Amino acid sequence: MIEGRGITKTFGKGVKALRGVDFAIPRGGAVSFIGESGCGKTTLGRILAGLETFDGGQLLRDGEPIKGNAFRRIQLIHQDPYSALNPTRTIESTLRDPLRLRAGQTGRGERWINEKVDELLSLVGLEPAYVLERYPHQLSGGMRQRVVIARALTVEPEVLVADEAVSMIDVSLRLGILGLLRSLRETLGVSVLFITHDVATARYVGADGELYVIYRGTVVERGPVETVLSDPVHPYTQCLLSAIPVLHGLEKPGPDRLVPNEPLDERTDPPGCLFAPRCPFATPVCVERPPPLGRLGHTPQDHACLFPASRHVVAVPLR
Amino acid sequence: MSIVELSRVTAPGVSIEDLTIAYGGLPAVSSVSLELKPGTITGLVGESGSGKSTLALALLGAVQKPGKVTQGKVVIDGIGDVTRLNPEDLRRVRGAEIGYVFQAAQNSLNPLKTVGKQLLDLGKAHGVRDLREAHPLLERMGLNADRVLRSYQHELSGGMRQRVGIMFALVLNAHVLVLDEPTTALDMITQANILQIVREIQRDRSLTTLVVTHDVGVVAEVAQRIAVMYGGRIVEQGDSTRIISRPRHPYTRALINAIPRLTGDIDAAKPLPGTPPTLATIPKVGCVFRQRCPLRMEICDTVEPPTLGGVACHAVNKGEAP
Amino acid sequence: MSSVPNSLSAGAQSKRRPPQRPVGGGVRRRFWRGVWVALKRRPSRIAGLVIVTLFVFMAVAGPWLYPDRLPYDVDNVYAPISWQHPLSTDFEGVDVLALVVTGTRGVLLVAAAAGVVTMFVGTAAGLYAGYRRGAADSVLMRIADFVLTVPGFPLLIVLTTAINVGTWWKMALVLGLIGWGGLARAVRSQTLSLRERGFIEAARGLGLPTRHIVVKELLPNIAPYIATNLLLAVTAYIYAQVGLYFLGVLPLDTSNWGVMLNAAVFQSGALISPDALPYLLAPLGAILLLTLGVVLIVDALEEIFNPRLREA
Repeated sequence: MIEGRGITKTFGKGVKALRGVDFAIPRGGAVSFIGESGCGKTTLGRILAGLETFDGGQLLRDGEPIKGNAFRRIQLIHQDPYSALNPTRTIESTLRDPLRLRAGQTGRGERWINEKVDELLSLVGLEPAYVLERYPHQLSGGMRQRVVIARALTVEPEVLVADEAVSMIDVSLRLGILGLLRSLRETLGVSVLFITHDVATARYVGADGELYVIYRGTVVERGPVETVLSDPVHPYTQCLLSAIPVLHGLEKPGPDRLVPNEPLDERTDPPGCLFAPRCPFATPVCVERPPPLGRLGHTPQDHACLFPASRHVVAVPLR
Repeated sequence: MSIVELSRVTAPGVSIEDLTIAYGGLPAVSSVSLELKPGTITGLVGESGSGKSTLALALLGAVQKPGKVTQGKVVIDGIGDVTRLNPEDLRRVRGAEIGYVFQAAQNSLNPLKTVGKQLLDLGKAHGVRDLREAHPLLERMGLNADRVLRSYQHELSGGMRQRVGIMFALVLNAHVLVLDEPTTALDMITQANILQIVREIQRDRSLTTLVVTHDVGVVAEVAQRIAVMYGGRIVEQGDSTRIISRPRHPYTRALINAIPRLTGDIDAAKPLPGTPPTLATIPKVGCVFRQRCPLRMEICDTVEPPTLGGVACHAVNKGEAP
Repeated sequence: MSSVPNSLSAGAQSKRRPPQRPVGGGVRRRFWRGVWVALKRRPSRIAGLVIVTLFVFMAVAGPWLYPDRLPYDVDNVYAPISWQHPLSTDFEGVDVLALVVTGTRGVLLVAAAAGVVTMFVGTAAGLYAGYRRGAADSVLMRIADFVLTVPGFPLLIVLTTAINVGTWWKMALVLGLIGWGGLARAVRSQTLSLRERGFIEAARGLGLPTRHIVVKELLPNIAPYIATNLLLAVTAYIYAQVGLYFLGVLPLDTSNWGVMLNAAVFQSGALISPDALPYLLAPLGAILLLTLGVVLIVDALEEIFNPRLREA
């Protein structure tokens, strides 16, 4: 179980990227972070993978703080599979390097390395004979991302952090990658932290998992994926879900669909609820103090709103 | 009609007829016929390598060398065949009649000049001093025009830069607007806002708009007609609601089926096997989609399917598609 | 253990890999083939290769092709151009072509050695500064800037008069240490931009040691910049040497192009006599031709090192 407690991070000129975020990723589980760009979800993913420092709070693994080499157990899958691979090296050398390192540490030989390479490539759905001798630019985006995942698996990680892992991949190939992540949970027991602004994709990796809605570095709604998606109670979540394009012809817009407002000014910190300036339902009470994360109103999920209300914003299927 | 009188034409129709654009013998766009009816928004959907961006550039007569138009024409009401305009007329037409918002307009502004300065440059290049459209355009899109005109590119957010791109495309009163991947790299809420702006501006200024994107959701939200491209061809086109609810071409079907959905059975959505072709791997004979097609027949290997009723598929033509 | 997910390769598990071939050998073979392909792409590059090879040959084999003391014939000074003397003769009747060929080794050897010095110092400094950043970066780049901005040629003149640079390797060392600033800067800026790339971060995250990251991940991507800078530095070193010899700052006891030029201008009255024109122009022509060859090759360098460009 990986946990974050009260993670805070402030960048350079006082930009508060994260303001005390709590999260938990159970073994083999799936957690999704959704939110707009700049909300801090990517920063949180990078902190978890050990690529960024944080200013406050704790990162724990089974109760123990994560330090140094332990971060290797958490691997990041980048958004851009092309820049995540060395363009001057073949796939074979890219995969063999981390394996050779491990072989050296555990006293195993070439044969083990070869077997592992084949095994991992099969696991991610690639043909070794085709892929190994090629360079990254000779593979499609979907294949490259699979190679990146295979490489991440060379160190037998416990958690894969997928940061917008499919947004730069062709639409027809996305489900393949999402399905791969899901099957890796089943076969290897690896947990997946899925970070995205495309909410629907979150369902495909972890419909049985938790969804965190992040706004300006705070969690504003948190609960089982299906619950939050079908019955969101925080106005921000409702705005996010309202923004999802409606496939007219197959669906019609949800009856309570909100017309979202864009950020007015990200630089000021309002005294009360951070979302109040943009919230269509804000009241004077909302600007007095930041609402705590809880179950106000007997909702099945946690949320940070003083006036949670069910609104049907998601598109309704026509048939 | 001379170039000068164009400014009086509102919402011209655009007719792409049997257009082929090739890069050294390899066609990126192959025998494409598409009509953009006046005053409508048409969505052009395709994945990487489909040729959609090349097609969009052809409307501007801006296909990059070594690509060139080897066949067909692009006729815009009041301008004529764009592919045959001389360079001087082409230069005048761009911006003044056809507005183009480039892919990642967020990154196509000059980082060293303020927006206002670039606007003046644009005006000078077209011999236009009356740039009064800029202010109301920006305000219409929800921006503080004075502030934006004074800003440099890096001081604006992605969504703001996209709007600035749209303003540049329309400031000289163009009536044909082409948007290439207008919302890629923008988050959902900003995307929804931009699409709303596209819809409203389209109405207010009587534009004929082409939206090029890989995102079916985007065209579902704004377009009245959709054309689906694969391997340089249009495999299906028609009314947007009809195509989404009852897609007929196997590729369109599979594409819509591959969209992750917010509700319903997760396993109902399926990925497509194989990968989209690149310029070098597009099959030269037969149907370009056959290698990934569940309805593949023998004839698909050798004969390119003709377009009947807006769909180019042998199985559909023979009535053998479910 | 592996359950293959849907879509792609249903045949993956049944396909066994062909027998293992050594990764090292394969990579090297591929590299040289890539070099040939890149060179073939434009005829100018082949021309450059031919020119440079010619000069290298002259440097290596030149002095062996001729006797130690070149034959002279005082009755045949500034001879008209003929098959026997394609570049005429000098003020003593010594064949000019022989002088050029035997004079190559003198300048090229030192220039190449200086290039090696520059390559090591500049690359190491640039990589370290760019990868580590912080204090090391500031210190190293201050030094590099100093080396860059101090005027090289006047400094060389001062240094060579102050230090005895009798042996070729001492000369090479001095040259190499004066010219590494540009390379260090170029390498540093490439390192800075590359270190943020996904694959470098991934390598760190996988626990790969710094040595591996710098040598196996960064260097191949920086190689074209190093090679380009290096080749251009070597031509600069040739110019520098010729200049120093020409000015008489360096001892005139060796035989090389600079000495030739010095003799032609100052000692033999070649400036006055039109017959002596080939004698005067030969060393200059040699330098220019070599520079041309290098520049033509440099054009191919980025393609050689980047597999993606090789195919475009």
